Amino acid sequence: MPREANAVDFWRGFALVSIFVNHIPGIYYERFTHRNLSFSDSAELFVFLAGWSLGLLVYGNGLHKGRATPLTFRLGGRSLQIYTAHIFISGLALSMLAGAAYLTDTPPILDWHNAAAFFQDPARTQLGIALLTHQLGYFDILPLYVVLMLIAPAFVIIDRFAPALLLPLSLGLYLTALIVHFTAPTWPVEGEWFFNPFTWQAIFVLGFVLSHDRGLGHFVRCNITRIRQISLPLVVLAAIVAWFGLYPDPTRFPEPKMLFLHGKSFLTPVRLLQFLALAAVFSAVYPVIARAVPWITGPLSMLGRNSLQVFCVGSLLSLSGQIIRFLYSGSLAVDTIVVIVGIGLLCLTAWLAEWRQRLGSHG
Amino acid sequence: MANPMHRSRLLAALLAIGLTLASVAAAAEAEVAPPAVSKECGDAGVTDRPLPNSAAALQQRKRIKILAIGASSTAVLGPGRNGSPLLERILEKTIKGLDVEIINRGFSGELAEAAGERIRIEVALNQPDIVLWQVGTNDAFAQVPVDEFEASVSSTVRWLKEHNVDLILVGLQYAKSLAKDAHYQAIRMSLRRVAVAENVLRIGRYESMEVLARTMSSGTGQPEVEDFGLTEAGYNCMAQYIARTITVGIFAKPPKTGPSAEPGK
Repeated sequence: MPREANAVDFWRGFALVSIFVNHIPGIYYERFTHRNLSFSDSAELFVFLAGWSLGLLVYGNGLHKGRATPLTFRLGGRSLQIYTAHIFISGLALSMLAGAAYLTDTPPILDWHNAAAFFQDPARTQLGIALLTHQLGYFDILPLYVVLMLIAPAFVIIDRFAPALLLPLSLGLYLTALIVHFTAPTWPVEGEWFFNPFTWQAIFVLGFVLSHDRGLGHFVRCNITRIRQISLPLVVLAAIVAWFGLYPDPTRFPEPKMLFLHGKSFLTPVRLLQFLALAAVFSAVYPVIARAVPWITGPLSMLGRNSLQVFCVGSLLSLSGQIIRFLYSGSLAVDTIVVIVGIGLLCLTAWLAEWRQRLGSHG
Repeated sequence: MANPMHRSRLLAALLAIGLTLASVAAAAEAEVAPPAVSKECGDAGVTDRPLPNSAAALQQRKRIKILAIGASSTAVLGPGRNGSPLLERILEKTIKGLDVEIINRGFSGELAEAAGERIRIEVALNQPDIVLWQVGTNDAFAQVPVDEFEASVSSTVRWLKEHNVDLILVGLQYAKSLAKDAHYQAIRMSLRRVAVAENVLRIGRYESMEVLARTMSSGTGQPEVEDFGLTEAGYNCMAQYIARTITVGIFAKPPKTGPSAEPGK
């Protein structure tokens, strides 16, 4: 039986729906997602909750007490599953772009989303896709997730034997990557990963550390009211700055500039801190939502429980939405249909995944 | 009071620096003829304009830093070979001793507004001399309202001018099927308006590729819209045009506009 609706699954489902909408650039409903009033967006929420879920998996099942080998195999297997899903949806996305370009006689569609390299230099680019060094636009978060799950056993082992070291090591790597400015390169097209794994690991580790009731997690639980009191003004201030575009000119910051910029690829401190403040404030909201609108918490939690399947289908639906908007113009009616049908299909995906699990458990 | 000997040494040193700079500039001007653009590439409607910040960078450090941003990096840099894209190869071949550093930040699918935010960050981090911004196609595909697109591009163009960064806009792509797409054409015209109003360089990718498509079609007898090779040929043309525009802009001595008879030399 699937687990009951809960806050983690609910917010994960919320992140998945936001990502689906935000990955259709220009769509009318994009203006209603929370990134318009925030420095961070659903990507931070998604990765943070992935770390949190890792904590629940490891500590909930007692994996942290066992030997390292089964843990490594289990998390490595999860990483392989995400990798397979990523390669599969990348292949389908390329086919969709090729099909749209061919059927509409519009070769420029082949240039969309970093696909040009694949069609111009297929041998090297195919290798790049397999090596995760070539990523299609909007299909770039799963490679980060693959890397994070691959190194997750190391996080768990450090947390088991030297729990006080995990966060300092993670934040040390984060700050070094920001100050020295290093990231994972792309190939064959020379460039950088959209999500720098050396900085984004910090939010994953924070999710993991905060998921269990000891160390920092214990401190936060004991002081959550005070933390929320401090966080609320920060969240409001960030909303004002984001809405009115008041963030200072990036050239005016002192060196190392990366510590002060507002950049997604490197998950700069301003985004990370604002996200943590947002998470502290909104962690209080779930019980209210669950009481006031239970018909929302159920479906969103169902999406969150099946996040990988929903994310994959959502990525392909976002691309379909972009193609549909190009073909039929971006009127409000078209956008409304795209969003309603898209969210409906996301729910159907999650429902089918759970139905299959139920069949399996009965069979 | 300064020692007269020190003063004369200082004057001599300043004179030497001045003469060196002047000779470097003169030598460079004497040596450099802008690379030609293949006849097949058509006329991209480029009006030669100086690129003063890049010219200063060349004089000071024999090196220019180019930030490529926008939908498709291949489209503005040209196909790569041995790790260096066509644009870099043409520029380094044309301007003796020049070191070209290309910072490629072409994340696809990005609209003008988001790219504008990223341009500001990349300029703060990398201090490029030139920004090559391929813009418009994604906004047209995403049905971004024309006034929003124009406002986003204008804002970024003005910001770059305020921060003394040269800019080359690379316009929308061509496909015959898009000729009757009203929104696509409106975005295209909007970009042209911004370039004229803000007095910045714009390379008419659409116009160039349209000519290229006709040329390729007449050569092969194939219907142009089905010829996906057009895209690759278009990349070559854009790299040639950009290399020529940068060379002319740096040396500010335009010999002539439009394509030459000699392809790619």
